[in-house]
Amino acid sequence: MRLFEVLGGWVATIPELDVKLRLGTHCYHHAWHSELWHKRLPELREMNPERLTAPPNDELVAFIDAMTEPEGPDLTIEKLVGAYRVLIPAKIAAYTYHLNNTSTITDAPTIRSLKFILQDELDDWRDGEMMIQSLIQTEAELQRAIDHQAMLQKLMLAAGGIAGPGSIGDSYEATEEAHA
Amino acid sequence: MRKSFPVEDLARDDRFVRVPIIERFNDPRTARQEDGPKGKRGPGRLTPDRPDAPDAARALMHGIFVGEIQALEGAGRTCWDFEVGAGNGEGIPEVPFELKLDMARQCWDEARHCEISIKLSGHMGTELGEFSENTFLYEAACNPDPVLRLTGVNRALEGLAIDVFNTMREFGEVAGDPVLEFCEDWMLADEVTHVKMGSDWLRRLTVNDKERQERALEFQRVVDKLFSLGGFRGEEEDSPVRLARRFRELAGFEKDEMDTLAEIAREAREEMEARVEANRAAVAN
Repeated sequence: MRLFEVLGGWVATIPELDVKLRLGTHCYHHAWHSELWHKRLPELREMNPERLTAPPNDELVAFIDAMTEPEGPDLTIEKLVGAYRVLIPAKIAAYTYHLNNTSTITDAPTIRSLKFILQDELDDWRDGEMMIQSLIQTEAELQRAIDHQAMLQKLMLAAGGIAGPGSIGDSYEATEEAHA
Repeated sequence: MRKSFPVEDLARDDRFVRVPIIERFNDPRTARQEDGPKGKRGPGRLTPDRPDAPDAARALMHGIFVGEIQALEGAGRTCWDFEVGAGNGEGIPEVPFELKLDMARQCWDEARHCEISIKLSGHMGTELGEFSENTFLYEAACNPDPVLRLTGVNRALEGLAIDVFNTMREFGEVAGDPVLEFCEDWMLADEVTHVKMGSDWLRRLTVNDKERQERALEFQRVVDKLFSLGGFRGEEEDSPVRLARRFRELAGFEKDEMDTLAEIAREAREEMEARVEANRAAVAN
């Protein structure tokens, strides 16, 4: 939900016309994904929709705050890097993990939504990467992209993933402890 | 990123040239276009047999294009500027989740309209930046009350878009240009949906707040009058853009609302004629 909101908000701040239009399209993709989850979550008996629509931890709040901070017209690279090189890859990983590990019978409605969503996410990821590569023309711009991505990746690492620790399964360490 | 993004900060590449609408209205050169008899202002309805039809159609197409960009930006800001809540107008401005989904959908539609408009501009022989941009649509999208914002943008300005697209669609049909006619017809269908969103949300969010509803409708009247553009849109035979009553009805407009709109357009036209006379006198002196 935060992703579609910020993509919509960024549209007015971005001077590059092709990027502006593409974010308008992607804004709706992610809004539709949030609509699917908004409908699905209350159907899951064992889950509490209120808890699941809240951030998993303060670290993810810090990540979202940092990702949505860039506003200036000269910060398109930072905006796109946050969305397309950090958040969306993390979502693809977490969704794929869930898709591969949930029940194909009892959780079939979730799987159906995940497949639709992952198709969009992969397409949008590719679009985003193409836009980023088209904007990076100098070593200085490349360094900006690297620095911003590193800063956001550290925040995402601290959060443990988009759903907190365990977003793509338990760590090796946790698995070993469980089997000890 | 800030909540609420001021119009002067709208980001554009260097092809765009921005001219405030007040400067355009007060430009003494406006009088030179008024060569017709007194009481008959403007070049009249857009038809292919007008000598200036190609340029007029290109200018209108460019205006549609920049309007689409601002509509995209305005809908996007509504996704960001407000928090999700009951939308009852108390405390921090908030909106229902479903309203944000509608605005996101509108973002997608407007982005597609921009792409269509860019291609149509090329088809019609113009290019980005050949005509100036004014930012009146986005200014209406800066209202801090989400109900007023949607009423001003989705009912007043997207309503104007219905009239403009219908006019261009008819122009394409008469001119024998199926590309233009087809594209405008598709965009027109989307605009009806956008206006209906505005009508529905106005009704839903103000069902228990008649004072807020009246403020929103007053804001719509102000925007409607401003964007009747001195008679540019109206029901007179020579109005360049005609009020599209049938499509407005589909979008949730009542008959008396459209009658009021026609009256607002007449008032705007009379005021513009007075202004043109004053400009003509200024040029003569």
